[in-house]
Amino acid sequence: MKIYTGTGDRGKTSLFSGQRLSKADKRIEAYGDMDELNSIIGALVASLGPEYSDPVEELQQIQSDLFTISALLATTPDSPSMDTITGIGQEHIEFLENSIDRMVDALPELKGFILPGGHSAAAWAHMARTVCRRTERRIVSFLDASFKMQAPDSYQRSLIYINRLSDYLFIAARYCNHLFDVSEKLWKK
Amino acid sequence: MRKRSFVETKAENYTSELIERRWLSNKSFEITLTKPKYFRYIPGQWIRLSHRTVERDYSLVSSPTDPNLALCIRNIERGILSAGLSNTPVGSRFNFNGPHGYFTYRPSTRPAVFVATGTGAAPFVSMARSGVNGFVLLHGVHSAEDLYYTGVFQSTAKQYVPCISETDSLSDAYFRGRVTDYLRKNLAAGLYDFYLCGRREMIRDVTFLVDEKFAGSLIFTETFY
Repeated sequence: MKIYTGTGDRGKTSLFSGQRLSKADKRIEAYGDMDELNSIIGALVASLGPEYSDPVEELQQIQSDLFTISALLATTPDSPSMDTITGIGQEHIEFLENSIDRMVDALPELKGFILPGGHSAAAWAHMARTVCRRTERRIVSFLDASFKMQAPDSYQRSLIYINRLSDYLFIAARYCNHLFDVSEKLWKK
Repeated sequence: MRKRSFVETKAENYTSELIERRWLSNKSFEITLTKPKYFRYIPGQWIRLSHRTVERDYSLVSSPTDPNLALCIRNIERGILSAGLSNTPVGSRFNFNGPHGYFTYRPSTRPAVFVATGTGAAPFVSMARSGVNGFVLLHGVHSAEDLYYTGVFQSTAKQYVPCISETDSLSDAYFRGRVTDYLRKNLAAGLYDFYLCGRREMIRDVTFLVDEKFAGSLIFTETFY
């Protein structure tokens, strides 16, 4: 099966809910960055390797959650298509928070600004963190432009998830260096 | 266990048995398979059927409330699975995985325009058999003998327009030309929900036409081949 249809050849794309939009639309920018974030987490998973099955499984769950948020961003809130997506709930956010708390307990105390890097897995986690922050900015920009009043709950919960994910990825970067016994380099003025 | 993000029906592996094969034309046939006890689907979804080492995806043409499953298959020359299905004896067993896909009917206040080429009509057959009605259906085929399921569509569609590209011995009952020609000439400008299923070229051409003539309409697509 060929994967291309060519329907995007003239600069427009289709949402899951059926609308045709410019590929430069803020909504498309937002889920495009989501795609980039998900791919970098994939690189992080690849750098960990299958022997670290617990963190790999956790990161792959996060990748699935990001697909859910992408589907939400590709769907207009008033569309019947929204009925097919359950979206992000409080349990998804708590999943990140519990994992952050678990990793923090295993780590030495933070004594300054850390230079992003160390083991390649940690470097990928830092990359993912920065792209996650950009994704968050894009989502906020899209929501600000699209909703005069408050954005729908499904989008707001996604935003909370992405904000928490940045924290998770920062701690995950530290945890990766800890896992591979690589010392963290502190910023020297 | 965390809640799955996508509701809908969950794809699983099943085994089914061939009950019947009914030829629709000299190129296409419908097969009826037993429906596994826990298999659930939504009209418009498809399954991945396996036979020996080959897998192919087919949209269901049955209604979810039917006691069995039905698939519409075009017998493709050198098509390994379609050729096998065209002569495998009744009683043969198949594995399949499904249901898959999001090409499902989403009711709205805008008129629905279904556009199919060839066996791309399959998901619309399942929708029509499940109670969806009042739609406009354009069915692009090479010749009139490819217009199987006419009875299903005539009783459910508000307007059923077979679009036939072959020029020989054509009755006035058919539109002569491609589905895009019909849309360009005959569908009044306005907002619609377009459902497109079939050849990539049709999907691309209709999408561009919608961008030009029916901007603001919704488009849902399923590419068949």
